[in-house]
Parts: sequence; C-alpha cells; structure tokens
Amino acid sequence: MVGKNCVAIASDKRLGMQAMTISTEFPKVFPATERTYYGLAGLATDVQTMSELLRFKVNMYKMREERTIQPKTFAHMLSSTLYERRFGPYFTEPVVAGLDDKNRPFICAMDLIGCINFAKDFVVCGTASPNLYGMCESLWEPDLEPEDLFETISQALISAVDRDALSGWGAVVHVITPERVVTRTLKTRQAVCLC
Amino acid sequence: MNSFVERFSSGSDLLSTHRKGLLAGEPELAGRWDAADEYAMPQFDLPHCADPIAFLQRQTDDSLAEDCRIKIQHGTTTLAFKFAEGIIVAVDSRATAGAYISTQSVKKVIEINPYLLGTMAGGAADCSYWERELGRRCRLYQLRNKERISVAAASKILSNIVYSYKGMGLSMGTMITGWDKSGPGLFYVDSDGTRLKGSIFSVGSGSTFAYGVMDSGYDYDMSVADAIELGRRSIYHATHRDAYSGGVVNVYHVKQEGWEFKGRTDVTDLHYEYQDQAKSMHVPAYTLH
Amino acid sequence: MEYATQHRATEQAIQHRFDPYADNGGTILAIAGEDFCVVAGDTRQSEGYSINSRYAPKVFKMKNNVVLANSGFHADGVTLTKRLNQRIEWYRHAHEKDMSAPAFAQMLATTLYGRRFFPYYSFCIVGRGMVYGYDPVGSYERYQCRAAGSAQNLVQPFLDSQITLNGQKDAQPTPLSLADVLCIVKDAFTSATERDIYTGDYIELHIITREGVETQLHPLKKD
Repeated sequence: MVGKNCVAIASDKRLGMQAMTISTEFPKVFPATERTYYGLAGLATDVQTMSELLRFKVNMYKMREERTIQPKTFAHMLSSTLYERRFGPYFTEPVVAGLDDKNRPFICAMDLIGCINFAKDFVVCGTASPNLYGMCESLWEPDLEPEDLFETISQALISAVDRDALSGWGAVVHVITPERVVTRTLKTRQAVCLC
Repeated sequence: MNSFVERFSSGSDLLSTHRKGLLAGEPELAGRWDAADEYAMPQFDLPHCADPIAFLQRQTDDSLAEDCRIKIQHGTTTLAFKFAEGIIVAVDSRATAGAYISTQSVKKVIEINPYLLGTMAGGAADCSYWERELGRRCRLYQLRNKERISVAAASKILSNIVYSYKGMGLSMGTMITGWDKSGPGLFYVDSDGTRLKGSIFSVGSGSTFAYGVMDSGYDYDMSVADAIELGRRSIYHATHRDAYSGGVVNVYHVKQEGWEFKGRTDVTDLHYEYQDQAKSMHVPAYTLH
Repeated sequence: MEYATQHRATEQAIQHRFDPYADNGGTILAIAGEDFCVVAGDTRQSEGYSINSRYAPKVFKMKNNVVLANSGFHADGVTLTKRLNQRIEWYRHAHEKDMSAPAFAQMLATTLYGRRFFPYYSFCIVGRGMVYGYDPVGSYERYQCRAAGSAQNLVQPFLDSQITLNGQKDAQPTPLSLADVLCIVKDAFTSATERDIYTGDYIELHIITREGVETQLHPLKKD
C-alpha cells in the first residue's frame, strides 16, 4: 500500500495444510534490501525456496554492481525468475513494496508466472485477496502519512482475514519510510504472542 | 434408482393417488393444511433429469465438483459427553462457504424442546430443518401418549427420516441429547443412517482435535464447572487448529430438569486467557481447579 | 482393437448436461439500525461477460412490507418472490392479518428447503426492522448487517469494520444514524463496482421505517 513518501506491506502468519493449521509463526514478508520488502503467498516450500533464491540473487547483484538493487529492478528480477519456470511454476504470488533512491514509493504484484501489475495505490494477493480488494478499495486514500498508512493497512488486513478461513492467526506490518522501517505485530484473532 | 427417486418426487406420475389426495393440490404452493397429514414426509421437488443425485452434487458440492455454484454452508466442531451430573454439549459457531467465512455466529445447538438438544454439523440447513421437524414429531408424540418421548426414540425418528433419504446428498452429523426416564441420553445420528449410543462424541471437521483434548481431560466424576471447562477448552483447541471452525464456544448442560445454557465465549478471548496461564498448566483441564 | 472400439463408444455417447442455472451476478446488502433498516442491491443483470440489463431490480418489497433481496440466478429469484407473495396472500386470507417478519423468515427457509434436491440458486436477504440472511437451501440467521452476491467477499469485511467495528478494540459502538448507514451503503457499492465486473449501473435502496418503505435509486459506474 502506498502512502506519502512511504509504503507499507503486511501479511498474516498462518501456515496451513488445507483446513489444518500447521504453524502460526510463518513469515511471508521478507526484506530484499533495507528499503525494499516483498511478500510471497502460496505453497510454503516454494515460498522458502524463492526467498532463498532471491536472497542469493540480490547479494550477487550487490557484489557485481556495487550498489543496492532498486525496487523496480528487483520486481523485474523476480518476474524473470518466475517466468523461467513458465511450464512448471513456483506456486507463489508475490507483492513488492519499497522506496527507490529518490524516496519515491514503488509497489507491484505479480501472478505465479511473473506478469507484473504496477499499481499506484495498493496491491493484494493470496487466499483473502477478494476480501482485501474490498477493504483496500474502501479504506485507502492518497497521500497517507506513515501512521495513518499503518492504521489503514492494519484495519484492511484484520477485517479481510477475519472473513477468510485460511488466513489469520496474527499478522505483521512493515511501514517503510525514508528514515527507517517500522515493523509491528498485530494481535488478530488467535495470534500467538511472543512477548 | 428410478423407483427410489420417485418416492420423493412430487412431480412424479407414479405418485400414489392416496398421497395426492392428502396433499390437496400443489404441496409447495399451498402448504400442508391437513392435520391428518402430520406424519407424512414433506415433499421435495426433484430436477427432471436422468440422474438427479449427480446433478445436485455437481451444483452444490464444492469439494468434488469443479463448477459448483450453489455454495452451501459447512464446517464445524461439536462435542458432547456424559458425566456424573449430566451431559455437556459444546459447539463452535463458524459457517464457511468454501474458504469464505459466511458467519461467525451460528447457533449450532438446536433447542428441540426444553429437554432435548440437537447439534449441527455438516449442512446447516439440513440440520436445522430436520431437527425442527423432529421437534414437531416429539410434540405430537407427547400429546398422543401423555408422556415425553425418550431420547432413544427421538433419535431413532431422526435416523429413520434421514435413512429414507440415504444417497440423496443430505449431509448431517448430529448428536441428540436429553434426559428421560432412563437418565441422561446421548445419541449420534448421521445422514448415512448411523445411530450410535455412547458417552463421548465429537463431530465435524475439527472433531479429531477436540477428541484429543476431551479424551485426555475426561473423568466421569468431574464437577460441573470442570466439565464445562473441558468442553470449552476442547472446542477452543479445535478452532485453533481447524480453519473451518471458530467464532464463539456455546456450552449447554443437560440435567434432569432439562437443559441449561452455560454461556458463550469468544475463542479469541479464550486464546489469550489460556496463553496467559503458565506453561506447566498444559495438563488436562480437570486438574486445574 | 479393443481399445479402438471402446474409444469409438465413448465418442458416440454424446452427453448433454442438464444445466438449468445461470449466474446473473449482482450484489445485495442489508443493514439494521436502531429504528430503521436499509436493504440495497445493484441493478445490473449479467451473464458471463455480457450485460443483459442495466436496470433489473433484485430487491423487492413484499405484500407484507418485508423487503426481500436475492442474488444468483435471476429467474429463480423472481419465481421465489412470486411464490412467496402468493403465500403471503394466502396467509392474509386465512388469518386476517399480515404475516410478521419472523414468520416470513421461517417460511422462506422452509420454501427454500422444499427445493433441497433442486435448489433455488438464490442467496436471499430479508429486511424489516431486523435482517435475516440465507443460504440457497434455507439455513438462516439474524444479522446486524449482511452482504451477499458476486461481491460478497468485497463488501462483507467492509461492513464488519464499519458497522460491527471489527478489529477496533477500544471503539465504542454508537447507534448509527440513517445518514451514516446510507453513506456506508453507497461507499460499499462504489468500491464493489470498482473491482467486481458483475456489480454496477445503479443502487436501488429500500429504507424501511415505521412509516413504511421508501425507495431510492443512485447511479453507479456503468463500465
């Protein structure tokens, strides 16, 4: 979700096999760089494989180019990684959110074979995506300050996952601003609280 | 199969004239006004095609059919157990249509009458409709015989009804509980026609999880408070692991004087309550007090 | 050889599926307030990617002043409404009074269940003072607010957050005014129209108060 000079990215924490909840501490959002985060929803093994593969690719990019990867470049790298497996895809739907070198917000989502959707407002993916579309479409407005953006994305996520049987059990929100990344854990229905 | 189907089809030409006379005109339009018809089976329309059962399954069963459009509400954890001071019935309250949670506030304990309870698992409409019908029949029994129906007889009426629809796609897993002359009664009845007498049952998608907690914490001589807590805790653990169960826990206690509602608790509140308890307390519930 | 014969046999057996249903899309919702009730639906009727009508109402005022909304297969919805109106009329002649809302709610459930093996493809919501929501075979419950139809997934979480204040732990639920509710309804439909191709054209609102039922029509995007 895009705000004024900031972006936010959030996910729930459930890992399930159909109806059964396996874990309530399964991270789906990963940092690519200090100011670019991405989320992967889908088959757990592919989520883990993809995140490791991307970590490798981002590090290789950094060593070769001697600069950090921009969110847009990262998105295209992710997209081509997915398209390489066009006929035996990774079952993941990624979203990317970050700030570029001029602190301009960037977000995008893609399907499991890498078709990118560049949006100016918000992107969603996963089992609760219709619910999230409904919430974001109603709650989001342009130029939200970081705190308001946090509230908006949190309320959208909470209400959406509460109507989806396969999501929930806690949530994580990252708000990325030029100065820092603020990560907060949301106490939704049945979240496992570590504190 | 055809003769079987015709038994339930209101539009069939083979329908006996006797039944037609009783129903006086189109049954669905006019309703059943004739009091003599009280023990008759309600009539259902069937699609006029070669295999109505496959047709229905294709349209409504989202686990089998790929083009299912008519999503019927499903998913549940329910449990009931006998103990020294009666029977505890505990249920969750979530109904799902596919992965979508259509409601978090279903009443899955059906109050058939002041001394009989039924639970709801499987198709919500099937359970509420047939247990309402069961309530009607139990009332008629009472008026005819000047005494209350036994739990065994009530559950048998229900199992006979659903057995006559076997293979037609009804989906129910229910427990009928109450108190009669022979004491507390607990029966499991499902849409396959199974009817079992027992002292511990759990039904629904989250039943395996509930059984685990219930069996480990069960003691016939436990107090009422401990029994209620065990029921509540078992449902909570099922809602935590089973995505298709959730919402609130409703608990009932069946006693000699009839059933009593013992309150509803949001499973999220229970979650944080149990989480705040010390880890050493992860032992069967009845030893807590 | 044997395979070939079998293969031909399957080719010759042309199967015609009996498919009496169509999905005509559309979204409906109802919200109960303190002393009023709002039942709303969009008026688009579509099939696949084509729009059959931009004004095909799916919210109906019944003869006993109950408002019934249904989405799914339009023909089933219309037939159901017609049959229910007939039975309301029957009831009035038999009992010399209008059918109450709870009685109507139960009758709708039994009527839907009467087609257990050949369901009406119709998701119903009933409103008058209270809101009742149904599944296609007659499982029903009272709600404070309820959405159904093609954009149910989009609208219901929004109603949860705005009406029942889901996820806002410290918020005190205050009774909503009619103006607030109308605002929420319009917002919900505007958002649904944005992302659901089966929702659009107009919202038809039925506002039920003690005085009676008032109907309003508001435009939505027509793309």
